[in-house]
Amino acid sequence: MPHLDIIDLNASYGSVGVLKGVNLSVERGEVVSLVGPSGSGKSTLLRVLVGLTPPSGGRIVVDGTTIDYRSKSSLKAARDRMAIVFQQYNLFQNMDVMRNVTIAPVQIKGRQRAEVEADATKILARMGLADKHHSYPDQLSGGQQQRVALARALALKPEILLLDEVTSALDPELVNEVLDAIRALAAEGMTMLIVSHEMAFVKEVSSKVVMMDKGQVVEAGPPREIIDAPKTDRAKEFFGKILRH
Amino acid sequence: MNYTFQFGVAFDVLPQLLEGAVLTFQMGVVTFAGGSILGLFFAALKTYGNRPLRGLAQAYVVFFTNTPALIQIYFLYFGLPEFGILWDNFVCVMIGLILNSGAYLTEIMRAGFLSVRATEMEAAEALGFNRLQQIRHVIVPHIAKTIYPALANFFIVILVMGTSIGAVVGVDELTGQAINLSTENYRWLEMFTVAAGLYVILTLVASIALALFGRWAFRVKAKVF
Ligand SMILES: Nc1ncnc2c1ncn2[C@@H]1O[C@H](COP(=O)(O)OP(=O)(O)OP(=O)(O)O)[C@@H](O)[C@H]1O
Ligand SMILES: [Mg+2]
Repeated sequence: MPHLDIIDLNASYGSVGVLKGVNLSVERGEVVSLVGPSGSGKSTLLRVLVGLTPPSGGRIVVDGTTIDYRSKSSLKAARDRMAIVFQQYNLFQNMDVMRNVTIAPVQIKGRQRAEVEADATKILARMGLADKHHSYPDQLSGGQQQRVALARALALKPEILLLDEVTSALDPELVNEVLDAIRALAAEGMTMLIVSHEMAFVKEVSSKVVMMDKGQVVEAGPPREIIDAPKTDRAKEFFGKILRH
Repeated sequence: MNYTFQFGVAFDVLPQLLEGAVLTFQMGVVTFAGGSILGLFFAALKTYGNRPLRGLAQAYVVFFTNTPALIQIYFLYFGLPEFGILWDNFVCVMIGLILNSGAYLTEIMRAGFLSVRATEMEAAEALGFNRLQQIRHVIVPHIAKTIYPALANFFIVILVMGTSIGAVVGVDELTGQAINLSTENYRWLEMFTVAAGLYVILTLVASIALALFGRWAFRVKAKVF
């Protein structure tokens, strides 16, 4: 059984269809990368998964359980299992690093603060932020902020991590520190669905690459096949453009 | 110029003036608290309300910021009895001050509402916060931090300019007390010099306390002086 199964998923903003029958599955412990041109619906797909954009058709199944996005309890369960990290980090500006990371487990899950802080301390150390507990987001570099955002997502102990272009807003020299953190998570067997334009990284870390265009999956398969030897014209054109950069 | 400043007289009445200063401070705090609740309410209407509610909030703000507080209080004190409503002078002053400062605070709070970032709200939502938790943990702290300097300034304005209006209808706050005393002892200069000194001390203490609190609570980089 796939860890995450997306079946014939549809979504639209107003009357404009953005996802038009997306099919995609992620096995437990697998890293799947979503690639495709701007506007193809990659972010929308991740937003639908965590209930930020309502689906208009199709099914999302996590570990055998279909999520009903109109039911509060089902949505809550989905958000317990999947966590998203955004391109722009979206940290809480008025909270320090520790509070950014602990607020959801403490206030929403009702866990003991001491226990959560002990957990957070470990997670932050792994993210290379052991000395930043009391810094505020505006005192950190982009790469540090993005690692805080990763830590904040991990503190909820998600089963599936959704990453939306988490390195796109970073200066080139900061990209690697974030990619290293993701590599480590992948090595530990975290199930991940990643949107990324870092083709070398995608090739290295993912077991499957899914190319989207105009709200549909165009091609899916192992990175060597999809990136190095695409079959469809659309994929050939896309990877041709990217690799020439 | 042969007026001799008599420190003795000033010293004798200090306890009464201090009483007035305490009342001034209490009036300032109550006005600020009441005005803040009104401000929060009308700012929410103005930001999130439908057309009629936005219109209502706007009418409130326009009316109370475009007429002097003194006239609003006169209306309550001298006007309402014509309609059979008799409130004592203190109640009229407090209601007038709260309504008046509420209108200014509506505008201050609204700036805070507009500054909340949609992306932070989305992050909170994805983490599982419900609407109420978002308001409590994301919106309110954010607003508080953003508008804190403006709020702190406004508190000082209320403390000095707002409350002294009470003297006109016989409330014995600091200015009122100074008037009362000088009509008894004719030492106007001494009375008002001491009163002015007490105002300076009040605002100085309040400013420093507010700046320190802002630094501690919101990392507001406010100047202490
Ligand atoms: N809030 C919104 N309201 C209306 N349309 C939107 C909204 N967000 C995205 N869209 C539209 O939906 C389509 C898919 O957008 P989406 O952000 O999912 O693309 P993407 O693949 O993530 O692109 P990019 O690589 O640029 O991030 C685009 O045509 C976009 O203009
Ligand atoms: Mg996107």
